[in-house]
Order: sequence, then structure tokens, then C-alpha cells
Amino acid sequence: MTAPSTTPALRGLAEDVSTGRVFARTCAAEWTRLWTVKATWWFLAAAAVAMVGLGAVAGFDAAADPVPPQGDPAWLVSSISAMPAQFALLAFTLIAVTSDYATGGIVPTLQWTPRRAVLFLARAIVTAGAATSAGVLLGLASALAAFAAARPGLSLPLDEGIEVLATVAFVFAAGTVLAVGLGFLLRNTAGGLVAVFLLMLVLPLLLPQFGYEWMSALAEILPGSGAAFLLLKGVPGMTTVSSVLVLLAWAGGALLLGWLRLMRDDANR
Amino acid sequence: MIEVRGLTKRYGDVLAVDDLSFDVEPGKVTGFLGPNGAGKSTTMRMMLGLDRPTSGKALVNGRTFTMLAEPLREVGALLDPGSVHPGRTGRNHLRVAARANGIPERRIAEVIEQVGLGRAAGRRIKGYSLGMRQRLGIAAALLADPRVLLFDEPMNGLDLDGVRWIRGLLRRLADEGRTVLVSSHLLSEMEQTADRLVVIGRGRLIADATTEEILRGLGHRQVRVRTSQPDQLLTRLEEHGFTVQRVDAHELRVEESTAEQVGDLANSFHLPLHHLSDVQQSLERAYLALTSDHVEHHAREAERAPTTMEAAQ
Repeated sequence: MTAPSTTPALRGLAEDVSTGRVFARTCAAEWTRLWTVKATWWFLAAAAVAMVGLGAVAGFDAAADPVPPQGDPAWLVSSISAMPAQFALLAFTLIAVTSDYATGGIVPTLQWTPRRAVLFLARAIVTAGAATSAGVLLGLASALAAFAAARPGLSLPLDEGIEVLATVAFVFAAGTVLAVGLGFLLRNTAGGLVAVFLLMLVLPLLLPQFGYEWMSALAEILPGSGAAFLLLKGVPGMTTVSSVLVLLAWAGGALLLGWLRLMRDDANR
Repeated sequence: MIEVRGLTKRYGDVLAVDDLSFDVEPGKVTGFLGPNGAGKSTTMRMMLGLDRPTSGKALVNGRTFTMLAEPLREVGALLDPGSVHPGRTGRNHLRVAARANGIPERRIAEVIEQVGLGRAAGRRIKGYSLGMRQRLGIAAALLADPRVLLFDEPMNGLDLDGVRWIRGLLRRLADEGRTVLVSSHLLSEMEQTADRLVVIGRGRLIADATTEEILRGLGHRQVRVRTSQPDQLLTRLEEHGFTVQRVDAHELRVEESTAEQVGDLANSFHLPLHHLSDVQQSLERAYLALTSDHVEHHAREAERAPTTMEAAQ
């Protein structure tokens, strides 16, 4: 079956391209896909308002205190403001995954990147990576805002800054990877958002209120408890180690289930 | 070249595609016909690796689609034109496709020009008409100049100009030596566009032949005649061995005959005719005959799909 060579594509099979190259291209496509819709910018703006706004407010508060703080570190504000801001970033990531299912866009997506493992990894890395990086930069901006607003009441010690921002990065990374996994697993924006909020906020707060021991124990193994302990401390029953393990287990588990759904099921049926 | 071999897809109890095998050859427009729910879209989705076959396989240029590193350079496809993020601009939609397949940026402007999307490319897709979405989908399919093209109902939602444009495009792509598969329920359209037809019904292959063969194979000639003396004409015709049907008080249908035969015969008996014509056998009728025939076969739990020749008889 010879075809006339009227166009370049008809001359022969396309050259084989290494998997690494395909992965890099898929990441570039995912990056473009992420930043060419409005939702991404809205959620990022919400996170920015929460973190920088809270930082500035905390700074002004500190400055207005009748007994102004004497060089306390401003970094505390970064981890406190990360608590509400994480929900904007979780939605940012979740919707980056589920909007493809909501709009049917997964059909062209898989036509352009039919190797699903490549697509899964690229999307997880690009979306969770972008959300986490943005979150850490906003954490920095939050502390700087507090520092500037309270000057000269607060300080910015470097070593503590690194520790706080690393914690914020870990919490955001684990949370957004969980959101990626849930997005691929549930394929549904509303369902995904409900699941994320239940796991990260509602259940960890609510379950201990009933006073049953097993409910409190259950709350301790939810990812929201781990995130709250690492960011705010003072969550009864949690330690740094248990928080890290709980977050890793949930992120890993959700990622695995999302992966299985993408690899095994039909594209969007 | 597309090779479909024993392709089967089962959704629970429903057998959407049933042991389908056919080839789609380069240099031709192949029409993929079937009534709604026949399994056309599911078959195309399996060719593109979107749906997992229950059994069987579909090969594109000898390979499984899901193995391709640069799929857009091999296969361009337009499935549901509504399956796009409405918040993205047309140009950005194409940009994502180009990035994913290592296609240079300048190709984007070229295909936008080629499909006549023009300035609309800078607007969000949510403002596009169905016809514009079709054009955008076709632009994505043509982006990397692929050798194989799949179009699922590409004429849908297009005005007459658009339909003409697609018809010309399909012909040109096939003439360039590409493999072109077009599904459609616009049978009259396929009659004009397709060189070859693959007809399916209820997920099974009904016919796989050239458009001409299918038309010819099914076309039992028929003559429509109106007269003031239908009883006499009917008697005379039957005496001469024709099968005649009485349609109404003044009209008859004569099977396996021509207008000349019926006219000459009527003349020899001095019977007045008010109307005489050959009944046009359109693909539409041929297709209905094929698919309704198949439904009956199916109801009787036929062991296998009839071959082209069986279906044609």
C-alpha cells in the first residue's frame, strides 16, 4: 500500500521519540492547559488574598498592640494563613484534574497523549507542583507582609523561615497530591470538592466533638488532622511523625486509586 | 491504514460492538454508516484507545494507538466537537495539542487559516457555534499533518457551505493518499463523498464494499406507473411475467423492469399512461433495506452477520 508522498507526513512513520521527551512535552501541554483557564487564576488569587491579607492584618495587629512584640519571628503568620489558603489551592488542583471530565476535554487530552501513565504523572507533577510552589511563595509573601506592616516589631530569622516554609510546602504538596488522586478517582468536580473538604476540614473538626473515643481515633488518621497539626500545632493526639505519616498515606493512597481508575477504565464512561 | 480485528465492546449486558473486522485503506474516503446506537462512535473510540475493547484490537498504521509517542502525527480525529473546555480560546486549545506532540507554533496559525476559523480563534470556545467547534476540532485533527483521519459525524451542525467545505476536504485528504474514515448518518452525503462503505447495525458488520457495489447490489429496479385503466395494465403485465403491486386506485409498481419495457407494453395494448418513471434507488433506501434486514436477522439470533452479498440479496 504505497501512498504518494505529497506531504511530509506521508513519507513514513513518525520518528520514535523517547519516553522522557514525551513526558517533557506532556508537562508543557499540562502547564499550558493549567494556565489558559480562568479558574486557575481565581483560586490562585483567593489563596493570595488569604495568605498575604492575613499576613498584613497580623502585622498591623502586632504593631497596634499596646505592648508591641520585641522581634518575634513573622514566620508564624505563614503557617497560620496557610491553613485557610490551602483550601483554595486544593480546589485549584482538583479542578485542574476534574474539569477535563466535566467538559469532556479528556477525549482530546487522551487523543493527544494516549499514554495514560505519562499523562497521569505529568498532570500530577504540574498541577500539584504549581500549587505547592505558588503556596510556598505566598507563604513567603505572607511573612514579608506581616514583617513590613509591623516594622520594627517582627523579625525574619532565616533558619526558622526555612523550617516553616518547608512545613508549608509539605502540607500543600501532600494535600494537592491527594486532590489529584481524588480528581482522577471521582472524575467529578462537586464530588471531589466535597470529599476534599470532608477529609481536610469537616471530619477532623467534627468527629472529636461527639466524645466517643473511636471517633477521635478516626479523626486522628484523617489528613486534615495531620495538616492542622503541622501548621498550627495543638491538635490533641497528633505528633509530627503521625501527622507526616497520615498525610503521606492519604496522598499515596488517593494517587494509587486515581492511577488505577485512569489506567483501567474507559476514558470518560 | 486502519485494521480492525474482532473488535468487541460489552457494557454490562449490552453488546455495543460485536466482533467487528474491517480495513480502512489509504487513498479513499471510507464512510462508516449505521443507525444511531449502531456502535460507530464506540468503534472509533476504541480505535483511539479511549475505550478499552472487551476483546479484539484496532491497529493504526500497524500499531496500537495507545503506544504512539506522537499520536497527532499519525492520526487526526474529530469525535464530539463539544468535548472541549469552553473557557479556553480556540488558539490555546490548539496550543495544548501542539505542545503535547512537539508541533511548531506556526502550524497553529496555518490550521486556523485552513479551517476558516480566523479571528474567532482568539475568543473563548464557549462563544462558538457548533459549526465553529467542528472547524476547531478539524483544525486539531489536521495540526500535525497525519496520514490517518477519523471524523465522527463531521457534517453535524454545519450549514451548506460548511458541508461543501468538508466534502471537498475529505476528498482532498484522500486524494493526497491519506486514510480517511468518516462516520455519518447523512447517507445521501456519503453517497456523494465515500468511495467505500462500512455499514454496521447493532454493533455488527452488515456490509463492507464500494459505494457503487452496495448501491448496485441492493438496487432492485422498479417502475412507477399511473394509468386510468390499472386493472387491464396489471393483467397484461402479469401475463408478461412481471411482478406488479397495486399502490392505489391508479398507480402500480412493477418490479425488476424498466420504464421502456412498461411503456412499450402499455402502448402495444393502447393503454393510456399518466405517469411513468424508474424509481431511483438511493443509498438511503439501500441502507434502510440493509439495516432493517439486519435487525430481523438479529431478532432471530443469527449466528453471524450476513456477508455483503447475502445482505445485498
